[in-house]
Amino acid sequence: MQFLTPLAFALSILAVPIILLYMLKLRRKQTQVSSTLLWERLLREKQANAPWQKLKRNLLLFLQLLILAALVAALARPALETKVVTSGSVIVMLDASASMNATDVKPSRFEEARKSVLTLINGLTSDSAMTLILAAQTPQTLIASETDKSLLKAALSKAQVSQGSADWSAAFALAAGAARNEINSTVVIVSDGGLPDSGLPSLPGEARYIPVGQSDDNLAISALALRASKGVPQLFAEVANYSGADRKVLLSLYLENDLFDARQLDIPAHSQKSVSLEDLPVASAVYKAHISDPLKDEALDSLPLDDTAFAVYQSSAARRALLVSNGNFFLEQLLASLPGIQPFRALPAADGDLKIPNEPFDLYIFDGILPAELPKANLLLVNPPANPLFEVGETVKGIHNIQVNQHSLTKYVDWKTVHVLQAKRTTMPNWMNVLIESDSTPLVAAGETNGQRIAALTFDLRESDLPLQVAYPILFSNLINYLAPPSAFDASQSLSAGETLTLVPPTDVEKIIIATPSNIAYTLAAGQTLFSETNELGYYAVNFTSKDAAKAEYFAVNLFDPAESNISPREKLQIGNTAVTPAVSQQVGLQEVWQWLAGLALIALMIEWQVFHRKPFKIRIKDKG
Amino acid sequence: MLFDESTLRKLNQLTLVASRIRSGAIKGERRSSHRGSSVEFADYRNYTAGDDLRRLDWNIYARLEKPFIKLLEEEEDLAVYVLIDGSRSMDWGDGEQNKFLYALHLAAGIGAIALGAGDLLSVGLLQGGRVAAEFSPARGSYALPRLFKFLESLEAKADTDLNASLKAYSIPPRRAGLAILISDFFAADGYETGLRQLLSRGHEAALIHVLAPNEIDPPLAGDLQLVDIETNAQQDVSIDGGLRNLYKARVREWIQSIQTDCRKHGIRYLDLVTSQPWEQVLLLEMRKSGLVK
Repeated sequence: MQFLTPLAFALSILAVPIILLYMLKLRRKQTQVSSTLLWERLLREKQANAPWQKLKRNLLLFLQLLILAALVAALARPALETKVVTSGSVIVMLDASASMNATDVKPSRFEEARKSVLTLINGLTSDSAMTLILAAQTPQTLIASETDKSLLKAALSKAQVSQGSADWSAAFALAAGAARNEINSTVVIVSDGGLPDSGLPSLPGEARYIPVGQSDDNLAISALALRASKGVPQLFAEVANYSGADRKVLLSLYLENDLFDARQLDIPAHSQKSVSLEDLPVASAVYKAHISDPLKDEALDSLPLDDTAFAVYQSSAARRALLVSNGNFFLEQLLASLPGIQPFRALPAADGDLKIPNEPFDLYIFDGILPAELPKANLLLVNPPANPLFEVGETVKGIHNIQVNQHSLTKYVDWKTVHVLQAKRTTMPNWMNVLIESDSTPLVAAGETNGQRIAALTFDLRESDLPLQVAYPILFSNLINYLAPPSAFDASQSLSAGETLTLVPPTDVEKIIIATPSNIAYTLAAGQTLFSETNELGYYAVNFTSKDAAKAEYFAVNLFDPAESNISPREKLQIGNTAVTPAVSQQVGLQEVWQWLAGLALIALMIEWQVFHRKPFKIRIKDKG
Repeated sequence: MLFDESTLRKLNQLTLVASRIRSGAIKGERRSSHRGSSVEFADYRNYTAGDDLRRLDWNIYARLEKPFIKLLEEEEDLAVYVLIDGSRSMDWGDGEQNKFLYALHLAAGIGAIALGAGDLLSVGLLQGGRVAAEFSPARGSYALPRLFKFLESLEAKADTDLNASLKAYSIPPRRAGLAILISDFFAADGYETGLRQLLSRGHEAALIHVLAPNEIDPPLAGDLQLVDIETNAQQDVSIDGGLRNLYKARVREWIQSIQTDCRKHGIRYLDLVTSQPWEQVLLLEMRKSGLVK
């Protein structure tokens, strides 16, 4: 609190004449009456009420002095210091990234930032409007160009901090959009400064920066990954120290919540250390890494969010392929060399009788022959004879004008040097996508019918030079991965918060339920292949339910973002070509409060009026004539 | 000039009334309780020895052969004493509403009525515990100018001591008559003992209580020091609406208490506010109260 015109306090001297006048007023006015007889009698009775009369007089004096005090104080123009008094159109970008969870300022950086914005709202002049933008993974406009402070506060109270990185480019785009409609706009960034150092577009109007946070005290698990090395999973973990002090941490590793390894790491300031573990169990599992203080049983650092990380190992032994052939060297070689495929071979008996093993396979490859009844599974048909799936005609010689259609399965397939001697004339049904065709017949086609994926080559590999070309392994790898997908999704790489997971569910799945780390269940429709509710850090369980089996797979969402884990508050922001610093003069503004004092004076005046008027001045004499 | 011609003519038609009739010294226009020698018949009674034979009704005697004395109404004059309170407190009120002036007007009116009716009129000014001036008894309308002159010469100037003044007035022997006291009754010691004294002399009394309008409803507010114009006594008072209402109520109670006291002693009482035109009071209010007819 300070006073802009403290000289006005000199006016307090006016209290002297008020008190003097008051004392003079107590010298009663002499008034003649014909007789005081009745008054004397009356007052003798009223003696008891005398103290109240006195008090009432004093009340008037007190009220008058109060009015004077309030007016003098108002004239002295008292002003309160506020963070920033803002006017015009104000666009506030509130950082809601993971680093704002840091607790170096209590209760958290985000709450501190919320408080700063609240101060901005309170300091908003009556004719100015504010737009609130929450900068999270998906930035959103909480409220646009609003002048009503209560609505602004309600919108602000709904803002939630996220556990992921903020998309500042998108937030800046929103801010620029909001600023475009205004003439005099100010963009205020309330953040701990975790903005990208370059690549941000410049903002229209003035930009201000209100920094939040004090400390850089944070350690993080900056990487946790598993990969198969010679069929055995290998774990890699990296712990980074972002603080300015050397730290000792205890890294604990859990396998399905059971501790299996713990080691102490000495990490110098601003550096990291990594740990590799081998000979882990082959089975699919969720691994958890956690860092803690080796000496104390309390929070290791200001941001506990990145002290735990998860990784998921998927064993890749699941895909079994059965090759049914009279002997095809090219296919056998190919299947043996494809990673993650366990090939089996079935030969027809000498009498031509074909027996399909009872145990199920992920993929059946029929080379030139077909069983009496096709298995209800994904099929790759090479040079197929007549079959119920599509129409097969006579053999055509002279395959010309070969055309490769654009498709994910024909990606990187170079057919220019491939020659085909002869192929079977086939007519593909609508559900089959023709991938490669000549002017006389389709050569390669793939499609899905009744939850069954079918691919077909209409020629014998030995009737072409395809197996000798680069296109051969690429095309077959594409086809086999299509027909026997390795897993519903790739869990080897963890996602970052808010990132979308792409699912390729097995064909027989009827329902997918995904449970988040805090046990919220999302049910996906059968056809849905995208899941984006990954805002929470931790591991997610994906439950596939098919007709007769249920299967669970896991994926992890980790922070793994140095920009967020490095919580040291930035001194300035680089936006476009300008560096925005939180200049002191901008930080502190003055909000005058004389209006309140003037209001107090007015109220006191009204009370004084009321008190005074308890003595009504009815001096009109009733005419008795 | 205290009265104009037409008022005077009206006043002449009025007569003062005393409930208990006093014996007059000369024949007046008043009906006396004494049966006497006027021409108006009143009653008969049996003759007793020593009765004036001139008053025997011979016609009755001729018819009934029994002697009856004829009783006749005796008409007599009335002694009227008008007493005016001449204290300084009476000198209050502006212009026509001045209480003393008002009292003089009333005295003049009553005097005019009395003289017109052939009553014996005395007027006394009560001041400072004595009778400061006196209009010697007079009878007949010819005394009217002298009465007016006397009244005009009066002034309100001294303190009030109604008891002492009334006592002083009652000491010299006077014919019993109707004493009319005009006062504001602002007397610290009251008036009662003096009035009793007057009554004990056989007088009949009537009180005319005169108050100015701003004594009944004072136009006062705020912190004041009230100064009594008569005694110079000072009284600090902070007047607000409540106190003013209380004062007004107290005035009413005071008037009522005087009225009750008067009724108890058979004294006629008339309270007047000087805002009422005094002619109207003489011609109307006093008649209503039974003081005149």
